[in-house]
Amino acid sequence: MTDATQTAVLAEGVWKIFNEGQLGEVTALQDIDMTVQTGEFVSLIGPSGCGKSTLLRVIADLTEATRGEMTVAGVTPHEARQKQLYGMAFQQAALFEWRTVRRNVELPLELMGWSKDKRRERALELLEMVQLSDFAEHRPWQLSGGMQQRVAIARSLAVDPPLLLMDEPFGALDEMTRERMQNELLRIRRETGKSIVFVTHSIPEAVYLSDRVVVMSPRPGRITDIVPVPLGADRDEDTRESDDFFHAVTAVREALRGRVGGAEARARIGEV
Amino acid sequence: MTDRLRFIWPPILIGVLVLAAWQAIVVVQDIQPYLLPAPSLIAQNFFGDVSLMWGTAIYTATTAFLGLVLGTIVGVIMAFLAQRFIVVNNLITPLAAGLAAVPIIALTPILNNMFSITSRTPRVLVTMIIVFFPMLVNVTRGLVQVQPVQLELMRSMNAKPRTVLRILRVPNAIPFFFTGLKIAAPLSVIAALVAEYFGGPQEGLGSRIASSAANTAYGRAWAYVVAAIITGLVFYLVTIALERWTTPWADRSRSA
Repeated sequence: MTDATQTAVLAEGVWKIFNEGQLGEVTALQDIDMTVQTGEFVSLIGPSGCGKSTLLRVIADLTEATRGEMTVAGVTPHEARQKQLYGMAFQQAALFEWRTVRRNVELPLELMGWSKDKRRERALELLEMVQLSDFAEHRPWQLSGGMQQRVAIARSLAVDPPLLLMDEPFGALDEMTRERMQNELLRIRRETGKSIVFVTHSIPEAVYLSDRVVVMSPRPGRITDIVPVPLGADRDEDTRESDDFFHAVTAVREALRGRVGGAEARARIGEV
Repeated sequence: MTDRLRFIWPPILIGVLVLAAWQAIVVVQDIQPYLLPAPSLIAQNFFGDVSLMWGTAIYTATTAFLGLVLGTIVGVIMAFLAQRFIVVNNLITPLAAGLAAVPIIALTPILNNMFSITSRTPRVLVTMIIVFFPMLVNVTRGLVQVQPVQLELMRSMNAKPRTVLRILRVPNAIPFFFTGLKIAAPLSVIAALVAEYFGGPQEGLGSRIASSAANTAYGRAWAYVVAAIITGLVFYLVTIALERWTTPWADRSRSA
């Protein structure tokens, strides 16, 4: 048994069944066992309908598991949400257009009852981290998609939660912006030491960012493989062109195709 | 600035040309005032007694304003209830739709009998009922139509329904509120004016248009029509000014 206090996320036998016992019953998650260590970066990857977003939503207490145990930072998802032990970012930046960029970042702090001055100070600090200090008093729609997503990330970090939950946050961005955002995220992770659960359907993205890639498959949604990515902590543009990166990408791709050959590709990582 | 001038000049030019053509046709064809009075005659009547025009317009504008404010208040309150309680929503929607189908102006004689015909009350009530519907529909939509992802975000931040209302739904509804008000404001002037055709105090625009026409004072009747147009326009422009002042974030859609 893993010690729940040492883990950011611990799922044991988690099931999520929609319309259970009724017409149109759908098993979105089947018997999920998963651990995310504190400080670890884990990606959930799989085709649409594999339940990766549902799994993230169970962790976030946006929906409840039908069966099984889920522990987030040592407590139930519900408690974790109430204590704001996680921050969340979505594919859409979901900024409030009537608020300035700074006041969007302040939102979670406002809900927790922080004073105006402290809120402002913290928001400016975060905007500096995502390199948007000059845009603090702009309106969200004056920013590009990538910039808006950086604001959303700053907002998810506002209460300084130990865990970040990200649901395809770069999914709507163009390839160049996306790679830049990935570098940003890795830098923020190095600076803050957050545990991160990251949902994506991009194999290179999952490999570049993660310590481990959880591969899922649909109908019913389940974990088919967990691929470790031993690329080390310091990753940069060169990493994307390295053999190890290529082998890890192949390993994840094979796992997604349900091929045992994944193990072979995995063995090649670090061989050179 | 030159851009702005480019927008302003064409309509003014067209307006002047139309008035000139109108004047020319009336003079050349010798058209009688009961068919179509010349712009000069209308202007003569309008500027001949500006204080009377002003006082008459103010009377109708007051009715319209009272109806607009009361109808807006009731509409907004109902919208909040509709958002909060699905039962109320299910109750209100067909009711409101039914109300919209009633020829409300036609209720004026009945309301005149129910409430004192010598008072402003029946007219304010008619205006209020007409204003209520666009306000209810638009504000409800604004409160309900928030992005699902924004609701999820609020939930992830552990926000209670009341907080979601204050932080998300109400600000989201403000542009919708103004959409409703931009429809309701000119409508309130029309309602207040038409309600005057069914008897009661005679100092409003509707009454004066009717009596001037009945007395063959066509130039005067038309001058009151001009005053009515100006009144409606003022209501609309004030609404737009209010909107720009209170929702600076919506600049994007307006500048586009």
